[in-house]
Amino acid sequence: MDIHSILVVEDNPDDQVLAVRALNSASENSPVIVLEDGQQALDFLFGDDARCSSSNLNSIGVVLLDVKLPKVSGLEVLKSIRSSPLTDWLPVVMLTSSDEPADLLEAYRLGANSFITKQINYREFTEQMTLLARYWLHVNKVPKTGSVPSSG
Amino acid sequence: MMRGWRYWRLKTKLLFLTLFVSTLGIALVCASLIFVENRNYKKQLESELHVIAGILAEQSAAALVFEDNEQLTSIVSSLERINTIQQACVYNEQGNVMTSLVAIDEQPCPSVDQHLEVGFIDDVYRLLMPVTLDSETVGRLFLSSHLEVLRGHIRTFVWVAIGIGSAILLALVFLALRLQRIVSGPILTLSATAERIAMNHDYSIRAPVSGTDELGRLGSTFNEMIGTIQQQNFRILESRDNLERVVDARTSELSMANRELEAFSYSVSHDLRQPLRAIEGFAQALEEDCAEQLDDTGKDYLRRIRAASVRMASLIDGLLILSRVSRQPMENHPIDLSQVLREITDELKDINDHPPSEIHIQQGIQVVGDSRMLRIAFQNLLGNAWKYSSREEKRVIEVSARPEGRTIAIEIRDNGVGFDMRYIDKLFVAFNRLHTPSEFGGTGIGLATVYRVIRRHHGTISATSEVGKGASFVVKLPVFADQR
Repeated sequence: MDIHSILVVEDNPDDQVLAVRALNSASENSPVIVLEDGQQALDFLFGDDARCSSSNLNSIGVVLLDVKLPKVSGLEVLKSIRSSPLTDWLPVVMLTSSDEPADLLEAYRLGANSFITKQINYREFTEQMTLLARYWLHVNKVPKTGSVPSSG
Repeated sequence: MMRGWRYWRLKTKLLFLTLFVSTLGIALVCASLIFVENRNYKKQLESELHVIAGILAEQSAAALVFEDNEQLTSIVSSLERINTIQQACVYNEQGNVMTSLVAIDEQPCPSVDQHLEVGFIDDVYRLLMPVTLDSETVGRLFLSSHLEVLRGHIRTFVWVAIGIGSAILLALVFLALRLQRIVSGPILTLSATAERIAMNHDYSIRAPVSGTDELGRLGSTFNEMIGTIQQQNFRILESRDNLERVVDARTSELSMANRELEAFSYSVSHDLRQPLRAIEGFAQALEEDCAEQLDDTGKDYLRRIRAASVRMASLIDGLLILSRVSRQPMENHPIDLSQVLREITDELKDINDHPPSEIHIQQGIQVVGDSRMLRIAFQNLLGNAWKYSSREEKRVIEVSARPEGRTIAIEIRDNGVGFDMRYIDKLFVAFNRLHTPSEFGGTGIGLATVYRVIRRHHGTISATSEVGKGASFVVKLPVFADQR
């Protein structure tokens, strides 16, 4: 079975640490890639970022995208992901601190696969991350993409 | 005809009056002239005939005495030349007709012994005169004259009168029309102008004014009045425009403030939560990862840190909801409130153990409003009833509704701890609590939110309670005509 990585786009260092901790405890074998803002995410997915090769892109199991990001917002990143044939297949889970109804609707309109409000209670947050990793990495199937064939 | 008088046009009224009065005048003058003329002619005829008869009697007296018929006939036939004489008869003393002059188709001479009417009889004037000789009656003379000449005379007179009358009337009509043009002309123009102004609401129209007489002054006063109205209109429009500009400015300021508030609460909801999550998360991580290095006091502190952040989180949530129900646009839809209340109690049952032993919700409570906001309000009210009755052995929560004037009164009643009515003023004010956190948890925002929602629905909320016996909240919402 392929081991897929989790791409986390999260600007707040505290949240990064907490998210990585929760994800690690949930799914130890899956590598977690952390990017700090929307621009980095775009560079990673579409640019010349050293970490990104076609095989890397293929190995992503799920993208956890924070709604509120500096420079380029999470919703804008989502829009870019959905508008490129290279990445439009990627499962994207939006994360947010708030439960702003407008964000929720907009995210689904732009093609988010899931939308999660981060729980303040860390135990509940860890539970969320566990469920999420289990579902997207183990239950869910992603295609072996498109334009660049996977090396397997 | 006269009933419509006041609806007649001014022109018609003036013309009618002029013609009526002048026709009456002319008719009266003609009638009196005809009357006088008639009388004079009759008098004249009478005296003429008397003179003729006198002469005739004198001439025929001797012939009568001598019974000279030839002489008599010649005397009488001389009357033929007088065309008014219709009949002339001469009688002897015994009343026998001696000679006569009879027009064609006339009756024979009347006998004088019978009672003979004389004077004006119908179309005829009759005269009977004794013929005397040396103051001794020797016979009688009868003359009859027709009034044909008089009739012709009067007929001519009437025709002349009609002719002259008509001429005068025509002249009067002409004059009346001219006069009208002078008097009613300006008035009609003025009234037409006023009508035009009233129809078009165009106060720039002016009435044409000529002369400085009363009518001229009326016109210029009218124009001045319209000028004043125009000016005032202009001022009203100007101040309305000003007002609109001010309102527009205020509205844009307000909507800007609203947008700022929205942005503010958006960032509050994101940015205030984030550090809280970090505090809570790291406290948890600390507890999990470094448990051996912490003694019980340390663990207690950590628990307190985490409890405080959870409490802070619910405060933020409460504030966000409060701000949302204050600024969100309202929707108005008919709502089955009973259904909403049942859903809320089901949710409460899901997240709480030990549900109340009795929950009564009246069926078919219909209201009109914003379903999301009303759900929030009743979530709070039912949540409170649930929370504050949690210590009772037998908990009863009851929701009932009754029409009250133009409102529907919805009562939520519980048999919980209640509150002290002395503090009722603080009940609906944000962050004011009537219980300590150790008694009952809460943010103090719930009832403030309820109050805000009900106020936005143009309703009222009141509460009554007795400590230890429960509380009753009554929400009154307006009922719309088509709701029942």
